[in-house]
Amino acid sequence: MQRWHIRDIILVTILAIFMGVIFWAVGPLYAILAAALAPAGLQPLANELLLGIWVMAGPLAGFVIRIPGAATLGEFLGAAVEMFLGGTWGAATLISGAVQGIGSELGFAFTGYKHYNWLTLTLSALTTTLVTFLWDYFRSGYNAYHLGFLLVLLVVRFISVFIFGGVLTHLITNLLTRAHVLPAVSKR
Amino acid sequence: MNPSLKLLTVVAIAFEISFTQVLTVNVVLIAVSLILLLVNRVKLKTLLWLTGVPLFLASALVWSLALRGDASSHFLWVIFTRMFVYVYLGATFTQTTQPLALTRSLEQNAKLPAKFAYGFLAAFNLLPKIKAEVATIHAAALMRGQVLHFWSPQLYFKVILAAMNWSDQLTAAMLSHGFVEGAPRTYAVRIPLRARDWWFCGLSLLVVQLGLFTGLP
Repeated sequence: MQRWHIRDIILVTILAIFMGVIFWAVGPLYAILAAALAPAGLQPLANELLLGIWVMAGPLAGFVIRIPGAATLGEFLGAAVEMFLGGTWGAATLISGAVQGIGSELGFAFTGYKHYNWLTLTLSALTTTLVTFLWDYFRSGYNAYHLGFLLVLLVVRFISVFIFGGVLTHLITNLLTRAHVLPAVSKR
Repeated sequence: MNPSLKLLTVVAIAFEISFTQVLTVNVVLIAVSLILLLVNRVKLKTLLWLTGVPLFLASALVWSLALRGDASSHFLWVIFTRMFVYVYLGATFTQTTQPLALTRSLEQNAKLPAKFAYGFLAAFNLLPKIKAEVATIHAAALMRGQVLHFWSPQLYFKVILAAMNWSDQLTAAMLSHGFVEGAPRTYAVRIPLRARDWWFCGLSLLVVQLGLFTGLP
């Protein structure tokens, strides 16, 4: 099993910062969306819709740097960067970052870090959704929602995570493979 | 206070109150964090920002829970105050700690391997360059009539290539300066870990446990 070297550590950190900088720009979109949905009591839906963007650093890092722990570290460092850039949630961001990172890591762990293809990304999207949803179930009081609305939130979250962490990440890694920066995707 | 222990204290408390529903503890934590922030002379603008954002998000969440769920008013108050605890408590750490001090402390006190500590630092110091690079990529694409959005694969493709390039260069730079993974190191700046840091961490956690598990509302 591959170990962490200084180059990989720097790469995953730079990648996390890049993602942080790009998604910083999504902040206003979230604010508008949340404000528009809030009066109808649908504000959590804004989180669910955009969550995929915030958890993208995990699958991307896991796919590009094929070392166990890369997805967790990528997502966690992204949170650390956000914390020091002056994100509102301060040190509490780190917990969310760790939860999201472990969520997307599980998908890679389930394939034994051997297969890197769309199936891995789908699996990772699924585990990310479930782990982060469980966290919100307690943290954000989702356990008080009626079952129907809870399911809507869960489905929307999965779609968002799948589109950004799955489809978009797949498109990106395809480009990287065609440019011969990544080893060819293992066929299934 | 020692940065690693401070972080541990803050994160442990934030984690615990995520799974417990004691309103009193939340309110006390908010008060204590606010006092700590004021003692540390946090800027008024920062404080307003730290109040406005959770005020909006917590109100919206509570409104949503009230509308689409069957929560008691006690539960709604717990959720409402919880958001403020996260923000204020988190700020007591971020407003008083520099990334450099934290990394040094993690290496010296928390025994994080030096390759991680220095790898993080090296990358973190590229932050201004990274911001500029994202702007450059956007501008370069615009000159060719392409608009890159946050959902454009090309944006990430270029970003990853830059990241790979820079990590190669930084690694070469560090190695040529004599950095060896796993080699014993001396420290130019020592981050002290005093007995009173342990006391502060232990007592804070103890008080929170007492508050959480003695049947307070």
